[in-house]
Amino acid sequence: MNTTRRSFLKLMGVSAVGLSLGQLGFDLAEAQAYASKLKIEGAKEVGSVCPFCSVCCQIIAYVRNGKLVSTEGDPDFPVNEGALCAKGAALFSMYTNPHRLTKPLYRAPFSDKWVEKDWDWTLNQIARRVKDTRDKDMVLKNEKGQTVNRVDTLFMMGTSHASNEECAVIHQAIRSLGMVQMDHQARV
Amino acid sequence: MPKAFLVDTTRCTACRGCQLACKEWHDLPANATKQRGSHQNPPDLNPNNLKIVRFNERMTKEGVVVWNFFPDQCRHCITPVCVDVADMAVPGAMIKDKKTGAVLATEKSAKLSPADAKAVAEACPYNIPRIDPKTKRITKCDMCFDRVSAGMQPICVKTCPTGTMVFGEREEVLAVAQKRLAFAKERFPKAHLVDMEDVSVIYLLAEEKEHYYEYAGFM
Ligand code: SF4
Ligand code: SF4
Ligand code: SF4
Repeated sequence: MNTTRRSFLKLMGVSAVGLSLGQLGFDLAEAQAYASKLKIEGAKEVGSVCPFCSVCCQIIAYVRNGKLVSTEGDPDFPVNEGALCAKGAALFSMYTNPHRLTKPLYRAPFSDKWVEKDWDWTLNQIARRVKDTRDKDMVLKNEKGQTVNRVDTLFMMGTSHASNEECAVIHQAIRSLGMVQMDHQARV
Repeated sequence: MPKAFLVDTTRCTACRGCQLACKEWHDLPANATKQRGSHQNPPDLNPNNLKIVRFNERMTKEGVVVWNFFPDQCRHCITPVCVDVADMAVPGAMIKDKKTGAVLATEKSAKLSPADAKAVAEACPYNIPRIDPKTKRITKCDMCFDRVSAGMQPICVKTCPTGTMVFGEREEVLAVAQKRLAFAKERFPKAHLVDMEDVSVIYLLAEEKEHYYEYAGFM
């Protein structure tokens, strides 16, 4: 748009252009047709939580016939009162995104390929490796001969999505393995 | 009852929640974009972005860096020029819903000739309409007409975490706008409401409109 056109319109004054047919509301049918397709109509509301940061905004997931159709902020949740940031507002795209991982992927040491694995295999692998590492590296006594019962080669990364109670349980489980290195990143 | 929005830019943190929520609600796909040295991304409104947050950064004479944010969308003008221009070519291509004041580009907008569609886009004082090269339809913010008709808030307003946007009956929104203006003036003596009499989407700016965006205001 050039300045000349704008100045011209300005000179005329927007209201001086006058009312045309479309502005008098003769188009009720058109407007109704436009409004008739609310995409969450009849969908079930399921409560969920945004996975991105420690604020843990609650969302409403709209589900129809077992399929997610839309997401938006939950106005009844006191933390976000229906609001969401750009990440939370884009949750539905995260779900429909073709790049989203839906199965565990495994890359073997020195391999350059990812291989799809099922959850049983994956969880067994994790358990196996934790157990092997613990058996190999458990330190019962330090140089001074004091009992320490610790594994220095395992590390626990926590999540700010966990509640106090969940943190207590995770903490106890991890301590019972002898792990002492724990941290948490407030954004994940 | 006609509806109105207040966009109090003094509260906007440019989180772009509104921009994304608008895309999601309208099932609009991502754009391939490039790093241009600005957070304003994509660079402009387009058929996949009916709303974008514009960023304007400058250094004042006093050496202070000012960063202004402008969540841009259709103003749903009280007397929309786009509707007038479209009516001359294809009646019903652009309509104004009497009840809510929403200005809508209908399916008929695809029947506008390329020249007429361009004329509609260029007539808009706020540089809003864009033409979808695939469907040939005019694309722009539709006030979330489906939601508003069902008694819900536009998704951008609902999503905003800072209370930048207020939506409701025009009279009520005007009253909130005056209150917010008085409050903003304490910090920003040049604060003002943009084209309030002529639009349904009223922006509160902290300083002159040139410091936001070329088409931030018209009058
Ligand atoms: S959601 Fe609100 S704060 Fe975030 S960019 Fe939009 S208007 Fe600004
Ligand atoms: S802002 Fe532009 S597109 Fe929107 S109603 Fe006004 S003239 Fe039409
Ligand atoms: S009112 Fe709806 S269509 Fe318009 S900018 Fe907001 S979310 Fe997008």
